[in-house]
Amino acid sequence: MDLPGWQKVYAELKDRNFELIAAAQDTGGEPAAGKWYDAAKATYTTLVDVQHTISSAYQFINVPMGVWVDERGRVVRPAEPAWTTDSTLKIGDKKITTEGKAYVAALRDWVENGEKSRFAMSDDEFTKAVKPRSAAEMEAEASFKLAVFFHEKGSDELAAKYWHHAEELNPDDWNYHRQEWSFTPDQAGKKWLDKFQKLDHSYYPKLELPGTPGSDKD
Amino acid sequence: MHRRNFLLATGTAALAAATPSAPASGTVLYADRAIPLDQVRADGSELWVHSKDLPRINEFEVKPQGACRGDVCIPLAKSLKQGEWFHLTGFARQVHQSYVADAQVWSFGEIPVVRGEFLNSRIAPDFAVPDRQGKIVHLSDFRGKKALIVTWASW
Repeated sequence: MDLPGWQKVYAELKDRNFELIAAAQDTGGEPAAGKWYDAAKATYTTLVDVQHTISSAYQFINVPMGVWVDERGRVVRPAEPAWTTDSTLKIGDKKITTEGKAYVAALRDWVENGEKSRFAMSDDEFTKAVKPRSAAEMEAEASFKLAVFFHEKGSDELAAKYWHHAEELNPDDWNYHRQEWSFTPDQAGKKWLDKFQKLDHSYYPKLELPGTPGSDKD
Repeated sequence: MHRRNFLLATGTAALAAATPSAPASGTVLYADRAIPLDQVRADGSELWVHSKDLPRINEFEVKPQGACRGDVCIPLAKSLKQGEWFHLTGFARQVHQSYVADAQVWSFGEIPVVRGEFLNSRIAPDFAVPDRQGKIVHLSDFRGKKALIVTWASW
């Protein structure tokens, strides 16, 4: 959980006409999410997104993911993994790599240079990066929202039915799986590991930032 | 006697297939809002709503030229309208919108033609999500600033 890291970034950039909006994708609401915001002493905008509205709007399939929006309300960079630190976690013969330093450096560059920043996507790059949802993905979204509704009504059996339907329709969306598994915490770890070990692609979408001119990577 | 009841039963079923059930209450989920409706007519997972309820469901309005939302007007097949009733799930199929239904709740996915506005214009979809105190925050509240929207989760 990168909330303290974001607090540092926010402290640096907040006086530069910049806002950081963090959104907990937590059907458990404030009781689930609040203590983490407290622990990070977060002063940025702290949302509790019970219905995963942000992930729906911007097609996020895991956490953490981020999107940049400019002063006119236009998306500058669409969905991509959003970390503040670099790390590599090895699990069996697989690994999860986070590239937070490069991401924050890019963010800083954009806050400074706006649309002149090389990290601000052109329309062509944007069109390539954002694909319309497939029919199965759209039905999975509808099913997930139905599950959230039944969960909030206390209809656990109906909720479970539609979490599972969403997970079957779009197995690549980790938000669906992990939200559902969070309601059976004693089994969540094993379920995650089982699915993770069967993955034939990376756990997070690849962060694809243009390289620093004159060098392959900073 | 039994035969007579059987005929009555099948007669009723045939009627139900042609016209949806008597009005009952129902709930529509769309764009992360739950819209309670006093009167809907259902036939299995098929849903008919009052035309006058359409704007508060999905911001479309039934007009002579079709179902309209902003500049978008979608011509409607005659079969989607029956008096004051509007065949919402039929409309969904026409615009390639997914839905999932159970227990008098119909959950609708995004409408591709509406979603397409984001893909074409790059205008970030606005949202209404509560903060920790329950105050609704909109993306548009931050117009004029650069913003990073970042998700995380406790799970």
